[in-house]
Amino acid sequence: MSCKVTRRQFLQTASLAAASFPLTKIVSAETGFARTASPPPGSFEGTRTVTGGVCEMCFWRCQLVGKIRDNRLIKLEGNPKSIDNGKSICARGNAGIKLLYDPDRLKYPLKNVGERGNPQWKRISWEEALNECGARLKAVQEKYGGHGIAVFPHGSSAKYPMDFFERVVGTPNISEASFFQCRGIRDSGYMATFATAPDENVDMANAKAIFLLGCHFGENVHVSHVKRYLKGLEKGAKLIVVDPRYSASAAKSDIWVRIKPGTDTAFLLAVMNYLVERDKFDKKFVAAHCVGFQQFKSGISHASLDWAAKICDIPVQQIREVAELLASNAPHVAIHPGRHVSWHGNDFQRLRAQACLTALLGAVGVQGGFVKPKALKVKGISWAKGGEGVEHNLRLLADKYPYSPPGTPSELIRDACLTGKPYPIKACVIWGQNPMQSIPNQQRTMDALKQMEFVLCVDIMPTDITMYADILLPEASYLERFDFIKTGTQWNLADKHQQYVAPRMPLVDAMFECRDGVWITNEIAKRMGHGDKIPVNSLEEKVNRELGAVNLSIDQLRKEEGIHIRDGQDPYGVADDFEVQLYNEDIADNGYPGVPTYIPVEEVPKGFTRLVYGRSPVHTFNRTQNNVWLHHAMPVNPVWLNDEVAEKMGLRDGDEVSLVNSEDIKSTTKTVVKVTPGIRKDIVYMYHGYGSRNSLLSVGAHAGIDDQELITKLAIDPETGCHGMRNNFVKFVKDGKVLDIPA
Amino acid sequence: MQYGMIIDLNRCVGCHACAIACKAEWEVPADKGRNWVHRLGPAKTPEGLAATYYPGLCNHCNEPSCVPACPADVVEKTFHDNRTGKTQTLRVAATYKNPVNGTVQIDRHRCLGCGACAHACPYGARYINPEIKNEDIGGEGIADKCTYCLPRVEQGLEPACVLTCLANARIFGDLDDPDSEVSRYVSKGAIGLTSAAVHIGPNSRYYGNKKDMHLLTSTSAPTGTGKPSASLRRGFIAQLTTEMKKAGGLGFLGLAGAVIASDSDDDNG
Repeated sequence: MSCKVTRRQFLQTASLAAASFPLTKIVSAETGFARTASPPPGSFEGTRTVTGGVCEMCFWRCQLVGKIRDNRLIKLEGNPKSIDNGKSICARGNAGIKLLYDPDRLKYPLKNVGERGNPQWKRISWEEALNECGARLKAVQEKYGGHGIAVFPHGSSAKYPMDFFERVVGTPNISEASFFQCRGIRDSGYMATFATAPDENVDMANAKAIFLLGCHFGENVHVSHVKRYLKGLEKGAKLIVVDPRYSASAAKSDIWVRIKPGTDTAFLLAVMNYLVERDKFDKKFVAAHCVGFQQFKSGISHASLDWAAKICDIPVQQIREVAELLASNAPHVAIHPGRHVSWHGNDFQRLRAQACLTALLGAVGVQGGFVKPKALKVKGISWAKGGEGVEHNLRLLADKYPYSPPGTPSELIRDACLTGKPYPIKACVIWGQNPMQSIPNQQRTMDALKQMEFVLCVDIMPTDITMYADILLPEASYLERFDFIKTGTQWNLADKHQQYVAPRMPLVDAMFECRDGVWITNEIAKRMGHGDKIPVNSLEEKVNRELGAVNLSIDQLRKEEGIHIRDGQDPYGVADDFEVQLYNEDIADNGYPGVPTYIPVEEVPKGFTRLVYGRSPVHTFNRTQNNVWLHHAMPVNPVWLNDEVAEKMGLRDGDEVSLVNSEDIKSTTKTVVKVTPGIRKDIVYMYHGYGSRNSLLSVGAHAGIDDQELITKLAIDPETGCHGMRNNFVKFVKDGKVLDIPA
Repeated sequence: MQYGMIIDLNRCVGCHACAIACKAEWEVPADKGRNWVHRLGPAKTPEGLAATYYPGLCNHCNEPSCVPACPADVVEKTFHDNRTGKTQTLRVAATYKNPVNGTVQIDRHRCLGCGACAHACPYGARYINPEIKNEDIGGEGIADKCTYCLPRVEQGLEPACVLTCLANARIFGDLDDPDSEVSRYVSKGAIGLTSAAVHIGPNSRYYGNKKDMHLLTSTSAPTGTGKPSASLRRGFIAQLTTEMKKAGGLGFLGLAGAVIASDSDDDNG
């Protein structure tokens, strides 16, 4: 891929080029291009269609086509050939061109000549930037060892550099937000129960009942996933939604369980105990596939409906109703494993309970149940495994968190940074992740970064973390590079069995001086003295060789309009050796409850309310905040407040407020109150990802409140080391006055 | 033929893809919209707690209030029906209801950008797009709104919002065809948003369960008299713009000068 900007592109991007440096608000962020005065003719007129796009506005990776006129990408659509998302893409997918042409994008390598957190940027050449990265990372490696470098990666392009730092430089200190602040506990909990990570693999399209614990589809949008959910509802599936808030899914539910936050495991235990006591579980499945049933049965026997109803603050009858509905539709019930599950620091046990409930209902390998699609495996090419620095693994050194997801829990890395024990960590590589808004307690992150000898950030957009970089490198966006090879099956498992392979291919040339992750990593590797270990010379070569292993190639995929489709395999059925650990002896041996157990969380202190957060349908957390189309769809994140509580406080819908938490941390920005009966009295709720403090984001900065700023109290899940982030409590501040929350 | 659109709220999940796809398709300014999604509730209704969406767009009304509000010069326009081969000639201003397909459209070459139509629409479905200039007239922009993607439809494509909808919640078709899916929805009870004061025959219709429909109609039905009049200011601008057009297309910056010029140099138009 060329990163040279042609004269034509330059002219087209005139306003962007004018804005190139310094990176301040120069043009309206609305458009990167000079507008024509004539009416736009529509995306079909005078355009050519390019195929091979794979979205990365979120991680779901819908397949795209682009409409190009005069070398400008004017629209993205779902690839009509797709058997996954089809012609559909979500709001974020549709807004991808506003990321591509965002005037605030990172365009050139930058050097921070100010201080971390309060940067002053100087444009430098790639040569200078790479030399500095190589020299300074090498210096840290030589002085402190490879483990003196921590890596915070996110996204498909971060895998290759992550592997380099882990396998070649030799650091185990890699912390992915998707594991330690999101879905890692789910995978660990199911691994310890089903011996497989579940992803979101429940066959909702063919379920007779769908059970969602916190999942809020509609606000949480992943196209083929929501298609499965809607197909199930259309076919008459009963929907049970357990959520303290009347979410988009609760609004479509048959039963809304308005549960008290943190008590979900008690609810699940009571449902399971009810099924066991009344012989309403799948005895055949349990006999064939489950181990530890007797320990499990006695371990949950205390969980009566009354016990749970009191803990969960819900009617006894409702728990019975849920249990009966699940039993009467078993085994065709979709017990959704969830996605973002890092809630309260007691989450591993809840995820174990969800898996156990699935097994009790026999909802494995059957229509509507837990079914893993059989997609083609395409092996990635990366750095050869070698010196991963296992002896420096912080988890093993501390003898903690035996069920940690891959990598090192973020908190252990920050601890080492702040104490220098068991060893110092003095360099940090942050690639596509924004730990400032993904990891709780921002002060600890700032302190950890301040003591570094070198901080490298690689990203597409400025974020709150890039303000802490010494060197900031601009990466090509998902529309400008080869990358991840997406594989999967037809979206509805009951349809004709098919498999697809869709490598991400560039729809346009990379703009400015943006480069892809393989090139950047290789250039740094050479300068650190590891040039001899480079496994692949370009991203294109990497993708081509990976495709070659399944008898495909980039040329072939271009001929096939970006997606290769072949016959698939029936995903239904259960392997004879599929084993469910209802009671897990290994967990018990490690000193944790071997039978799923409810562990109470801290109660809301008087005068406060619990802060709960979730997804906005138009944003992927903070990554999309500066997207001008998405911003205008939801400019701020209103804080949901129960209507009766609001009345007592004298607050009205639309009032402007800020928040202060129980550790006296105040939000730096404001938002508006959303008064509604659709939320419990003991919580407030807001969309995550707003309130960025990086003023280089001319659209997204200071819009709404950054909930992460208020999540300062740490709750670490004892089995996994993951962060629970719903144990923080807030009050409202209006017109400078702090308002207590009435009981 | 009367094109119409159904929004099935039982399917809609409120993802906003329709509104963003429209922005891309027609390069709509970021802070404007040819269509929109308003999030409604959670709120109490007589049928229980409800939360739903108002995915709004032009209703291509049977008796559009925007059409008579247009102050542009009236000209003859001939409409050709490809199916029947017949033609009809109507006298229209810069916005009109197409007698062949029932859509309400804007003649961008004659729109003055005065905003009278936007003011007249009880649904707020029109806006002035400052980024599109009428080359003949100049001015501050021209009126824009949902066309039901007629230029796409004429090429056999779906409207952009329909194409991208993951929920198949948007259904487009001919309401005059009793066998169309949109007509079947009308038979099932899909309704347009109307009020006692405003009932001008909207052809974008909504279908949903009782609680969602209650929430939608109680929050999003049009208010006002139903016969909004163009403001004096807009009428004045329209008049000036017509004068200016005669004067030879000077921009709005020279508005006063243009009026003077037109007084003294009438033949240059």
